[in-house]
Amino acid sequence: MTTTTVTELARPSRPTSRIGSVVRLHLVNKASIIGTPLIILGFILLVNVAIWAIIAASVTDASDLADAQEGLQWSGASFYLFIYMMVLGILGVSATFPLALGFSVTRRDFYLGTAATWVLLSVFFGAVFTLLAVVETATGGWGLGGRMFTAVYFGDGVWYQRFLLFTAAFLFFFFFGTVIAAIYSRWRVTGTLVFFGILTVLLVALAFLATVTRSWPEVGNWFVVNGAPGLVAWSLVPTVISAVAGYAVLRRATPRG
Amino acid sequence: MTAAVEVSGLTKRFGSTTAVNEATFTVEENTIHGLLGRNGAGKTTLMQLITGQDFATSGSIRIFGEHPVENSGVLRRVCFIKESQKYPDDFKPKHVFESAPWFFENWDAELAARLIEDFRLPVNRRIKKLSRGQTSAVGVIVGLASRAPLTFFDEPYLGLDAVARQIFYDRLLEDYAEHPRTIILSTHLIDEVSSLLEHVIVIDDGRIIIDQDSDSLRGSATTVVGTGTAVESFIAGHEVLHLDRIGGLASATIGQLTPAERAAATTAGLELTPVSLQQLIVRRTGLATELEKSA
Repeated sequence: MTTTTVTELARPSRPTSRIGSVVRLHLVNKASIIGTPLIILGFILLVNVAIWAIIAASVTDASDLADAQEGLQWSGASFYLFIYMMVLGILGVSATFPLALGFSVTRRDFYLGTAATWVLLSVFFGAVFTLLAVVETATGGWGLGGRMFTAVYFGDGVWYQRFLLFTAAFLFFFFFGTVIAAIYSRWRVTGTLVFFGILTVLLVALAFLATVTRSWPEVGNWFVVNGAPGLVAWSLVPTVISAVAGYAVLRRATPRG
Repeated sequence: MTAAVEVSGLTKRFGSTTAVNEATFTVEENTIHGLLGRNGAGKTTLMQLITGQDFATSGSIRIFGEHPVENSGVLRRVCFIKESQKYPDDFKPKHVFESAPWFFENWDAELAARLIEDFRLPVNRRIKKLSRGQTSAVGVIVGLASRAPLTFFDEPYLGLDAVARQIFYDRLLEDYAEHPRTIILSTHLIDEVSSLLEHVIVIDDGRIIIDQDSDSLRGSATTVVGTGTAVESFIAGHEVLHLDRIGGLASATIGQLTPAERAAATTAGLELTPVSLQQLIVRRTGLATELEKSA
């Protein structure tokens, strides 16, 4: 071969960033990590617009229409996207981890690269959602009074508050998916089942506690008092717990085939 | 010479099974080593331990003098695409070859392109849908083109047809001559690779049972063929690894012979033939008809 390759071989390791390489590895197939969610998003939006158009066309009475549009603010249409991000979080870790180790990446570098990827994607999709929310408001609900990105759960803050809320929500779902995948990578199906078993028991126990202490109004009140900015801040708690737990679990995981 | 890999007292247990049992050996830099053994003997586990993909129960491992586990500095000099390597579901070979250079700094894209052509690998088909041999080819191409100072090939022949096997064999030797590096090749198809190997490590049931230079290993036994009586009188007093009789003829595999003994054999009208590495390992270990069957 050429002399350059020979000298390259002889040269000591270049300190290229493995973490950056892991980010690129996650994004190498852009079609499935960015393209598919955008297509799903576009499809859901289109279906919703069609439904809003049907409502607008079939309800003629003005007060009935106002009633219907009042109901639209409870739209959960965008929820699919958040779940899809959780799936990406699961697949991104469980499927890419064995390959990254095959490429001689340490678990630490893999995890940091993966976390960086999730932050990038959360910011990206947070921005997309914010943009669509702004358009939704500006066009009076796509000209039909529909609500998908300004649904009641997302509050009624200004655009950057929306952006933070969307981004924080995406982050949570990515890292929650990461924990599930880390548990699966380390303890396989048994571990995953035990994890969901414990999680279910915990959530039911909390619901039980809230019921017997008659504190559901306080729970509701808590959401109202904190508002969107408070929720963003609080959501970081489970997100960070997930991120740290994910690393703790994956640190001792072995890819099996 | 310096050591690329030093393993000492290495043990790996999974519950009650011991996959690797007190393994101790050294791999010198810039050699081609064969890691041979039956299916399930512990080859893959051993390589996963050496490359920090798995954690040892006890014992020590050094690659280029350092601990491999979570050691980015030393792992980046290693390439190990295992036979059962998992790829993301939506991955096509082109994604693997696009991303591999980000991790292997000596990556030779030209060589990769040539190998893709040689193996006629469809780079735009999902890896899930590739045949066994095509999937092997993906790993083989990464292993060759990465030019990692320590490269593992895990059952590279699995599913490859005769032409593809010859291509692998030729390209490996060609590239190894130009870019010397340490290569560890695991397989249960011993005869296919025997001429490549400079050193042989045989693992059985988790234990290292042979760790020897392949030339000296080959010279360590000879097959004596002739009439039954002549063979029998000749082999008396020798270590007999194997004896076959067909009609009035006999063929015996025996230990190393001195030049004087060789001359004596020839005078007695006996024919001396070298023993293939595979036969030798099978005889020496009493290992298994299974090895022969699977070959």
